[in-house]
Amino acid sequence: MAIRDDFEVAAGQVRQAVQRFALALLVIGAFAIMLIGKADTVLVENARVLALDLASPALEAIARPVAVANRTIADLREFATLREENARLREENSRLLSWQTAARRLENENDRLRELSQFHEGPEASFITARIVGDSVSAYVRGALLNVGRKAGVAPGQAVVTAEGLAGRIAEVGDNSARVLFVTDVNSRLPVQIERTRERAILAGDNSSLMRLTLAQTVQGVQRGDRIVTSGHGGSFPLGIPVGEVVQAGDGTSVKVRPFADFSRLEFVRVVDYGVTGLVGAGNPPATPLPPVGPRGR
Amino acid sequence: MKADGILATLDHWGRLLMPGVVLLFFVLLTLAPLHVPYISDILPLLPALTVFQFSLATPERLPGPLLLVMGVLLDLLLGGPGAPVGVSALGFVLIRAQVVANRRFLVGVPFLFQWIGFCLLILGYVVIVWVFTALFTWTDLDAGPALGQYLVMVVAYPLLAPLLARVRPRDPLNVPEPSRGTAQPGETTS
Repeated sequence: MAIRDDFEVAAGQVRQAVQRFALALLVIGAFAIMLIGKADTVLVENARVLALDLASPALEAIARPVAVANRTIADLREFATLREENARLREENSRLLSWQTAARRLENENDRLRELSQFHEGPEASFITARIVGDSVSAYVRGALLNVGRKAGVAPGQAVVTAEGLAGRIAEVGDNSARVLFVTDVNSRLPVQIERTRERAILAGDNSSLMRLTLAQTVQGVQRGDRIVTSGHGGSFPLGIPVGEVVQAGDGTSVKVRPFADFSRLEFVRVVDYGVTGLVGAGNPPATPLPPVGPRGR
Repeated sequence: MKADGILATLDHWGRLLMPGVVLLFFVLLTLAPLHVPYISDILPLLPALTVFQFSLATPERLPGPLLLVMGVLLDLLLGGPGAPVGVSALGFVLIRAQVVANRRFLVGVPFLFQWIGFCLLILGYVVIVWVFTALFTWTDLDAGPALGQYLVMVVAYPLLAPLLARVRPRDPLNVPEPSRGTAQPGETTS
């Protein structure tokens, strides 16, 4: 009996030693994974895509009831302000109708002029509608997961738009899932122009709800209320997608832009398939996943 | 007294797998587009809370390698270009190790102590994630949102902990009352 007790005590000590060693091993393992991730970004990218593809069915199952609940709550809230909302909409509608007339006239005129000058527009854009199945919003990331992927024609670098304006761009693509990086993410750099003056600028996110506008050079300056649209530079984004509105400008202060897209209530988005991405020749289907166009390496 | 049969086997495996499954669920829930103020804030820290809470009672059911895998999965899913993969794994492993090493101060003590322990450990977790993310992306990351999440989580802990303690697979009522609070480092209740 005594021998057995001794044995058990010794076994316990060994087990404790292994446990202590195990912690060191696990910590080393975590560090090793981090270093490998830093050294081999392609591997990490592939692992991310695989994880996304595996998780997206589960996420979709979670997202649907959540979306229904959110919509119900929003509906209930809207009931309270139905009257005012109605009045506001009626007013807006009459205003927009006059705008529509103007737009039709201008479109006609534009078409004529283009015919006259034999102007060739860029490739036609087509849209892929996607449901947002996951938020990839943490303290350090602003993004979302979509339920469409390579099989539907999504490719890295494509623009993601909502009804209001640009939401972001595709960062990673799996077979049936994709990750969007919002324009407000700290890694987002977007070539834009100011609609009023056609001056080019770079719009950078900083993980807050506003974005920072950096003008290359400015003659006419920028003022509050200016609309910011994509400039089409880099080739992957069509020209003229509305992005946001300047809310803060002036001497000495940085120019801040509020995005048109409401990231807190996104449910469906459209991925703009512009035919070519900036890094691929026309008609050449992307055989290998390309790195996202934009921020890296700048 | 041990029962045999299919139900007992199911029960056994259910208890064994529960913490891992709950952790996986919260890792996935981190990405759920809830869009609810405050609740969305605590989502990224829920896996860490799960690790803490289950490590209190049944650390052997959250083995280190599993934590490593879950942490890596969380980092992969949460994404962000340049963000370190594996930092959550490191945080999870350290939380578990600290809880196991300091069980005497955390198990069977008044809830306030447990809360303080939780605050300290999760603060360590948030700081680790912040430091490594800042190092890897080499930017002066704004720590504000992370601290905001931390504060909301600290406030939410008293609400969530009892809930998780219910989900937590408690062993049958064969743990004698007097033995609670006297657990030694590494000792478990199974």
